[in-house]
Amino acid sequence: MYKYNKLWVYLFIVPTLIVFLTFYFVPILTVFTTGFTEWNGFNAPKFVGFDNYKMIFTDDNSITVSLMNLLKWSLIATFIHVPFGALVAFIIFKQPFGWRFVRGVFMIPNVIAVSAWAIIYRFIFNDQMGLLNNFIRKIGFSDFHTNWFFDSQYAFSAISLTWVFYAVIVTLLVLSDLMAIPKELHEAAKIDGATEAQIHWRINFPLIRGSLGTSVILSVIARITMFEAIFLTTKGGPGNSTYNISVMLYDGIINYEFGYANAVATIMIILGIGVLAITTKVFKMNKSVYN
Amino acid sequence: MKADLLKRGLVWLFSYLVLIFTVCISLVPLLWITVSSFKSNKAILNTPFALPTEINFRAYASVLQMNNFLSNTFNSVLISISSTLIALLFYALAAYSFAKFDFIGKRTLFILFSVTLLIPGHATAQPIFSFINLTGLYDTRLALIIVYISAGLAVSLFILRASFLSIPRELDEAAYMESASFWQVFFHINLPLAKAGLATAGILMFLGNWNEFFYGFMLTASAENRTLPVALQFFTEQFSYNYTQLFAALTLVTLPSIILYMLAQEQVQQSVVSGGVKG
Repeated sequence: MYKYNKLWVYLFIVPTLIVFLTFYFVPILTVFTTGFTEWNGFNAPKFVGFDNYKMIFTDDNSITVSLMNLLKWSLIATFIHVPFGALVAFIIFKQPFGWRFVRGVFMIPNVIAVSAWAIIYRFIFNDQMGLLNNFIRKIGFSDFHTNWFFDSQYAFSAISLTWVFYAVIVTLLVLSDLMAIPKELHEAAKIDGATEAQIHWRINFPLIRGSLGTSVILSVIARITMFEAIFLTTKGGPGNSTYNISVMLYDGIINYEFGYANAVATIMIILGIGVLAITTKVFKMNKSVYN
Repeated sequence: MKADLLKRGLVWLFSYLVLIFTVCISLVPLLWITVSSFKSNKAILNTPFALPTEINFRAYASVLQMNNFLSNTFNSVLISISSTLIALLFYALAAYSFAKFDFIGKRTLFILFSVTLLIPGHATAQPIFSFINLTGLYDTRLALIIVYISAGLAVSLFILRASFLSIPRELDEAAYMESASFWQVFFHINLPLAKAGLATAGILMFLGNWNEFFYGFMLTASAENRTLPVALQFFTEQFSYNYTQLFAALTLVTLPSIILYMLAQEQVQQSVVSGGVKG
């Protein structure tokens, strides 16, 4: 071996280890333990068992609304957002005229601040000046008036529309899986007389299930952590109809109900791990694609 | 044969409709706010689809002269750049050790670091909020810098470790033979060769920090300490009915991200893929 002090190897890990301990390890332990305490940040935490969880599930309907919204948004993510992103990937994969341009442009909403995007959408859905309502009025429904974000009938859909079709991450993930499929597979299938549809169903879909699974995980977890798109548009309203678990956590923190907030955060972490476990199983992501 | 042609035509038509839709939803909102920032308030309200009658930058000038806009911009630049650079250094050091050496606890540590990817972003918000309060850093730029350093841990580590793994060990060995020190081998041989990985991880972290809202909102109080994405929220109240200025501000805030993206399209797209593939 060549001479270097083995200490260096450990020294190089230290900064990252400190970041990990300060911002992940200790916080996660704090979240798990103080979820069982009553704690406002000023006094010492007082152990109260499952009281916070009881409170969350019985005090009001916030958690029920949040979980229902999460369920609906997760279904929208899985059955509209991910398939749309994959559809764009399949089209771009054929490299039609302008595909580079489309791929490049599709990324733009993803690189700008989510807060800016939420505020822009607040104006797009504005009744008087907004693009959407004016467009609807222009194509013939001249009496159409709706305040999307402030009407309980439409607020949920309006928030969904701020993200549902912006699926560029799905597109890029699926595209990189599609490009990894050996060309010989397609050629062999064609020689054997397979139709286009058969190639898609029998070859492409099974081979891209990894990226589809990753896409579902990423987009459902993004629904769990979705904050700006709600906080900067409806603030969870009207009433609490567009409330979600991230806004619930935020409200707990700024009201200095730390025990309660961390019980919510624990639920959040468990949901995240649940999504990961279920999706990995459904998409058989732990099994190798090529063998 | 004819049916086949018709079918192919329909597929072609459908494909292009999807692509046009994709381009529209991505560009129209941004074009709309940019075009509107050159229109009068009245024109924005009454003729939302019309083009501006004259091009002047008055709205932009007044946004730039606004009390805190420049200090908000300065904060965003300072915080995003410094946290990205420090994080790059930290994670490059760790990634180098993970890629090139064996040591006790290597596997355990790597698994622990990787698991941080599974924690939904805001779940640790209360402990971080309290930590920042406890250290007296609440409402300072430093608070955001150190919180943002932690943000890209797992993904950056993956990207950088892969870069260092691809650098041949023979280079290191040759340098050691010529009695180069551990640090020299890292800094003068490995780091320059890991440029692509550093760029990918750096751009990913920079964009994340530049656009971050949640912690920026929670950890600052005074107007002059806000970053741009946070300040935007207050502009909407401040300008309440002056849409021209608000749209100019929105354009100014979103423009740098778009320019950076256009300059480094390949890396940004690459970083999304490597960020999504979590091993």
